Amino acid sequence: MLKYLRIAWQRIRRAPYQTAAALSVMTLTLFLGSVFFLLAAGSDMVLRYFESRPQINAYFKTDYLPDQTAVDQLTRKLESTQKTAAVRFISKEDALKIYQEANKSDPLLLEAVTAGMLPASFEVSAKDPRDLKVLAEILKQEPNIEEVSYAEDIISTLTVWINSIRIIGASLILAHVFITFIVIILIIGMKVSVRREEIHTIRLLGAGGSYISVPFIFEGMLYGIGGAVISWVVIYTLLLYSTPFLVRFLSGIPVLPVPILFMAALLGGELLLGVLVGGLGGWLACRRFLKA
Amino acid sequence: MVTARSLTKKFGPITALEEVSFEVAPGEFVFLTGPSGSGKTTLFRLILRDISPDSGSLSVNNQDVSAILGRNLPKYRRAIGMVFQDYRLLPDRNVRENIALPLEVRKIKPTDIQAAVKIAMKMVDLESRAHLFPSQLSGGELQRVSIARAIVGKPKLILADEPTGNLDPKTAKNIVKLLRDIHSELKTTVIMATHNADIVNQNGVRVISLEQGKIIKDSPQGKYA
Repeated sequence: MLKYLRIAWQRIRRAPYQTAAALSVMTLTLFLGSVFFLLAAGSDMVLRYFESRPQINAYFKTDYLPDQTAVDQLTRKLESTQKTAAVRFISKEDALKIYQEANKSDPLLLEAVTAGMLPASFEVSAKDPRDLKVLAEILKQEPNIEEVSYAEDIISTLTVWINSIRIIGASLILAHVFITFIVIILIIGMKVSVRREEIHTIRLLGAGGSYISVPFIFEGMLYGIGGAVISWVVIYTLLLYSTPFLVRFLSGIPVLPVPILFMAALLGGELLLGVLVGGLGGWLACRRFLKA
Repeated sequence: MVTARSLTKKFGPITALEEVSFEVAPGEFVFLTGPSGSGKTTLFRLILRDISPDSGSLSVNNQDVSAILGRNLPKYRRAIGMVFQDYRLLPDRNVRENIALPLEVRKIKPTDIQAAVKIAMKMVDLESRAHLFPSQLSGGELQRVSIARAIVGKPKLILADEPTGNLDPKTAKNIVKLLRDIHSELKTTVIMATHNADIVNQNGVRVISLEQGKIIKDSPQGKYA
């Protein structure tokens, strides 16, 4: 194995321009693949974040104080639809606590607000975002409820975006994998062709197909490994560099920093894809010649 | 060792070999003579199963060459040592590595390869050139490397296709002496193609003469026809 690797490495070193071309296209493909993968994974987390948040907020009139019977009655009414994931009543005191927590750094705002100024409310999450409208309608029919707001639009828009990212990403990755595959076949095919005489001699000396093809397969795999490592380093550097900005941009949504284990898995995925594309390209490049 | 019966090979309209029949016994040293284009190289290519005959049969070591399956070809070829006129050494491998090649393709242990290569290099007197690359060697040295590569795997048959064709008379004589020594020492069957009359006439061994793809003479202790 080591001998084959040494031969492959030697061939890579001796053709720097071909190596640069193969590495560039491999790196670009794996870079794009990783970017779309990160985007898809990130937006999935954002979606899950929004789905886990209360999706409907129903505010009672400020001067209305619902008693426990009214709260229980409405809770049962909502739960009887079997469309709710969670129903929570927020009393005026709870609302004040939430307000105080959110504004603890601003004493002026804390002083000015009392529980009586804040409305009691219901926080409702649906099992399926498509049911939000039905649940919101039930709440709107309550005479003491003044305002109902729900995040149906955010979730459905996000779902559309995520699906688009997945489809565009997968199409782009497939196209790039195909281009990379062709480039690897071309580059290794050129090398096989240049060594046609040499390979013919080796075959006459009794070499089997694997002795000839394995170094070319390894060469393709090395392009894959090189491309994976380079693209991963670039991605990780860009991600680390832009993390402070992204954290501000996605305020409150716990997407960043990306866990190191996730990045390690990404590297593993890139290596696997690179080695597969490169190895298969190398094998196909010499297969035709060996068959002749 | 080698038996050809009515062997015919055509390349398009050109007949390279026509109805060629002969037999070479194990341990024999045979000169295959004839002018360029007489079919010597074609015959070697047929023996190596680099090409297949159009008709006739060829057997090597009691094995029908045409019947060998593709996957068994490497094993078959490993029993034949081939010396090329143009040496066909790998330019990016040094003398030692070139000689080791036939053993390397058989996946033999590195220590065993090292020992066998050392013996082969000693036989062709190239020990001092072990680390040089083909571009750093003279014609005679290149041919000796090619011979060492052919004998290192202890083949039963050596095919030498005009091994002296590119060499000066003195070096050519030494190369033939080397092949004769190997033949008598290892008892290997050797078929050497040449169109050098001096070499043939000085050695007094069997000569098969080809012309325009046909055997015109096969004499046990022949002279160049």
